[in-house]
Amino acid sequence: MNKFYGNKLAIFIFSFPALLLFTAFVIYPLFPEILISFQKNDGFKSMGYVGFENYFNVLRDPTFWKSNVNTFTIVLISTCMGLPISLLLALIMDRQGERVKRFFKASSVFPAILSVTVIAQMWIAIYEPQWGLINSMLRGIGLDGLAMEWLSDERTVVLAITAAFLWQYIGLNALLFYTGIKAIPKTYYEAAVIDGAGFFRTSLKITIPLLQDVSKYVLVLSVLGSMSQFAHVRIMTAGGPGDVSRTVIYQLYYKAFSASDFGQGCAIAIIFVLECLVLTVFINKFVAREKVEF
Amino acid sequence: MSFKSRSEVYDNPFGLPEQWVFNNYSGALEKFNFLRYLSNSLIYSVSTIIITIFLGSMLAYCLSRMNWKFKGFAMSYISMGLVVPAQVVIIPLLIMTRNMGLKGTHLGLILPYSAFALSSCVLMLYAFFRGLPKELEEAACIDGCNIYQTYFRIILPVIKPAIATQCVLIFMNIYNEFFLAFILAADDKIRPLTVGLLNFFVSIGVSHWGQIGAAMIITSLPMIMVYMFGNEQIENALTAGAILK
Repeated sequence: MNKFYGNKLAIFIFSFPALLLFTAFVIYPLFPEILISFQKNDGFKSMGYVGFENYFNVLRDPTFWKSNVNTFTIVLISTCMGLPISLLLALIMDRQGERVKRFFKASSVFPAILSVTVIAQMWIAIYEPQWGLINSMLRGIGLDGLAMEWLSDERTVVLAITAAFLWQYIGLNALLFYTGIKAIPKTYYEAAVIDGAGFFRTSLKITIPLLQDVSKYVLVLSVLGSMSQFAHVRIMTAGGPGDVSRTVIYQLYYKAFSASDFGQGCAIAIIFVLECLVLTVFINKFVAREKVEF
Repeated sequence: MSFKSRSEVYDNPFGLPEQWVFNNYSGALEKFNFLRYLSNSLIYSVSTIIITIFLGSMLAYCLSRMNWKFKGFAMSYISMGLVVPAQVVIIPLLIMTRNMGLKGTHLGLILPYSAFALSSCVLMLYAFFRGLPKELEEAACIDGCNIYQTYFRIILPVIKPAIATQCVLIFMNIYNEFFLAFILAADDKIRPLTVGLLNFFVSIGVSHWGQIGAAMIITSLPMIMVYMFGNEQIENALTAGAILK
């Protein structure tokens, strides 16, 4: 068997193509990225190295900071509001009969499989100022004063986009939590029932602590997903009105492809990678450090 | 909404249409090259699935079974892909595809898609291979199969369920991918549905809600049909990552 597993040629044939493809398109691009971030570059040719000037320009740009605030608003809302709602939905789902469960499952995945473009456009219709769902409802119950142009008002635009984004993935996250809940052995619950614990006590004391691994997985997915939010913003507002609703990735896109400044674009990308790394390390350090074994 | 005339949308947005208007669909189809975008989307997803699963499963097998020096290194190297979001390297990717002459071709998107799909595919299949008994290969070896025959005739058929899961996952990701396609597929001929639909919305203007609704329905139909037949599969695939760890 050693000859079998130690066959050098086979190892090369099996591993090389994948590693080559991965290196060429995932790892290698990071190097030109770092180089370009120190250059003045209009997208076609470099105009010499300028040291840290791109980084200074980015960090001095108030729009960049605004885009960071927006991005972290989206991340915070989706982790602090979205995930608890998903968890609650999953806990409720676990208590239902088979048919309700089927329906729950089917409808929770559905928004996530539809195209982002369709979802975002649907939310544009919901926010439509004249006949959109929200304003019509507000007018219907006599709150005409609250009806506003959700996507053109700088106070509401980021929240409006976040709501659309959350709505698309809340069901999927609930389903992930639910899969985790199903994996918990039933004996734990039997013991709790004998001790007379109700829904809230069982959930708080048994389900949620045992759900650590899944929670961490969902948390990482959700944080990284909302960090790199671009599509909903592009489709719903194109970063507008003005530059109010830009996210970091949108700002990168704007700098590189609308303002033709690849240097600053790459600098933003590098800063963004660092932000993501810090967040990932933070989550790994403080959330669910021990693996749960059943 | 997709059955209403332009003005009726404004007068009566929610009720059933007073007059059923079907020309929104024909109007939308006239200006919205649905079939081309759909076939592009399918080309991207299917080719990415084939490349990623073919290369990824071989690497995963190699990592989990064979003995070589840089195994541990290769494992952590490929895991790095989970931390680098594709959006970040978009600028070098654009320059690279331009220099390699891939701009304006389907390959210019398929290769980055496959490369970025590799990490999670390899890690998941790796876990799956670890669970397979070694006796499978020992038996094949005794019967005189060489490693390639063993792999393609014996091992691959055994891991079919994991491969099916990966197919669903990659398909969903690529079919709905927006950012890379938005930037790398600048030519209308190679745009996938997500981006093509947005361009259609932009080109017909914001007030033509009847046609917008029609285009939305047309675009969603294939997905809805796929989902109706395979919802169990899709749900299992989407949640596979959560419990596998």
